[in-house]
Amino acid sequence: MATFRFLLRKLAADRTAALGALIVVLLVAVAIAAPVLSTHPEDVTEFHPPERLLGPSGDHYFGTDRMGSDVYSRILFGARITISIAVIAIGVSVLIGVPVGLVAGYYRNWASDALMRVSDIFLAVPQIVLAIAIAQTLGPSIENVILALSATYWPFWARLVYAETRSALNETYVEASIALGASPWRVMLLHVLPNISSSLIVRTTIGMGGTILTAAVLGFLGLGPPAPSPEWGRTIAESREFLPEAWWYATAPGLAIFLVVMGFNLLGDGLRDILDPRTRRSTDG
Amino acid sequence: MRALVLTVNRLAWFVPTLLGLLAITFTISHLIPADPIAFIAGDNATAEQIAALKAKFGVDKPIPVQLWNYVLGVAQGDFGVSLYTQRPIVDDLVGRLPATLELAFVSIVASAILGIPLGVLAAVRRNSWLDHALRVFTVSGLAIAAFWLAILFQLLFAMRLGWTPLQGRVDGWGPDVITGFFLIDSAVAGDWGVFRDVVAHMILPAVTLGFPAMATVMRFTRAGVLDAINSNYVDYQLAMGVPHRVVIWRYVLRNALIGTVTQLGLILGNLIANAVVVEAVFDWPGLGLYAVNSILQSDYNAIMGFTLVIGAVFIIANLLVDVTHGLIDPRESH
Repeated sequence: MATFRFLLRKLAADRTAALGALIVVLLVAVAIAAPVLSTHPEDVTEFHPPERLLGPSGDHYFGTDRMGSDVYSRILFGARITISIAVIAIGVSVLIGVPVGLVAGYYRNWASDALMRVSDIFLAVPQIVLAIAIAQTLGPSIENVILALSATYWPFWARLVYAETRSALNETYVEASIALGASPWRVMLLHVLPNISSSLIVRTTIGMGGTILTAAVLGFLGLGPPAPSPEWGRTIAESREFLPEAWWYATAPGLAIFLVVMGFNLLGDGLRDILDPRTRRSTDG
Repeated sequence: MRALVLTVNRLAWFVPTLLGLLAITFTISHLIPADPIAFIAGDNATAEQIAALKAKFGVDKPIPVQLWNYVLGVAQGDFGVSLYTQRPIVDDLVGRLPATLELAFVSIVASAILGIPLGVLAAVRRNSWLDHALRVFTVSGLAIAAFWLAILFQLLFAMRLGWTPLQGRVDGWGPDVITGFFLIDSAVAGDWGVFRDVVAHMILPAVTLGFPAMATVMRFTRAGVLDAINSNYVDYQLAMGVPHRVVIWRYVLRNALIGTVTQLGLILGNLIANAVVVEAVFDWPGLGLYAVNSILQSDYNAIMGFTLVIGAVFIIANLLVDVTHGLIDPRESH
């Protein structure tokens, strides 16, 4: 608890990181309170064709879309989709990648080499390329987006934890606990894992931003949740045939993606400065 | 010597990595629930017609046999036939590679030419309003969705202002193909009207792709200069009366760029990932657009071919980055 309070105080002192944290907290709040905050909550599923493509006004803050639904309300509900995709996809890839990395890093045998070679193969192409192929194969749905993102993201965590575990094994405190007869699991879970947790926290935060961007690309290509889902990437794709007249239709969801990713990136940078002094971004020279 | 051993070691893993990638993409593409053969054959095809088509594309055999045949084909430079265009995939890919390479090359060079000096400037005047402004710029570059930026550019510069073409690579047929790089081909032919047209078409996609790349270049150049600027040799040279500007641009920058070069792999990965959607938005006839079209048509031979080619390009590029790193940083070889 004390460390948590220390973290909060440090974060509050770093203005840009605090801004990032604020954006992230706001995103979560908006996602939870979407039914209350939105002006037309029924528009997630309801259409009003006579009101289609109206410009921004007091009644429709960000105008209306091709079905006459309120863009502002749909973006708020879109936040729920974005958050659940990013949180679950990262959660699953961390849950697979971290144990794989720990075990492969601890034991030095052919099996750990094989595991790392498999993750190298995944890392040999940009994540989006394999994610697109998987999402396309499985068909457009929110579950399949999560599956595609997790299946292509776990090798990143395995690699990271593997490298950190290997270097931790050379540290005196780990050698000492092995010499004292600690079991492999005890060493991995009680000695190695706590010492790599801060770098895991930093990477998870920055990874949220990247995952949200990748998920938006899948949505944009039509591989995300199908219509009438208010997913942000899909909304941008839908808006294209109504440009340049309906500029609000394309602008609003993109701004939402931009703000959220920026929030996670700023927060991640700030956390890195606090938790991981080795890779300080050297803002102050 | 150590660098050589590392390079040879990496080269030795080139083929196994590609084989692994092939196995993964093959597995993914054969989970496909949609039946592309039925799609090509149409609704009125008889059972015999479908069987004939299956035999033509080799999908009537068991999966392991298909995989083996595919590997044999790839080894001989044969990626199979596109289910959709019905042309050899190698021809499709080779025909589209120059468009993507030209765009990627222009974006990377532009981002280096702009990003390196701006990064140095931000470091030299750290905590000035310029540094803060540039920082906002870099943070935005990494947070913006490339496809959205592409659409905004189209909306503003092509649709509203009419300064640039909306999409495509050139109006009409373009220059006679010599290298496939339109900038070079039109310059060689001396056709400056076409050259200007090619440049006009390239501006928006290149800026879209170059923006995040430039942000990364700037960020690491700035950090590298800040690290190097505090070292003893800088104090020494300044004390010896070497002008500040010379110290920064000749000595500090060389050290600072080592960090930037190691990030080239990351920059390239991002660029390739963005190229897929940015090409789709600008209707740029490169590999990215080809990939998106093959995906939408479940053309799995083409998807596998694309993934393999991108994997090969990516591995080779990372290898080149490592070699360059060794060349500009002599400490590496000790």
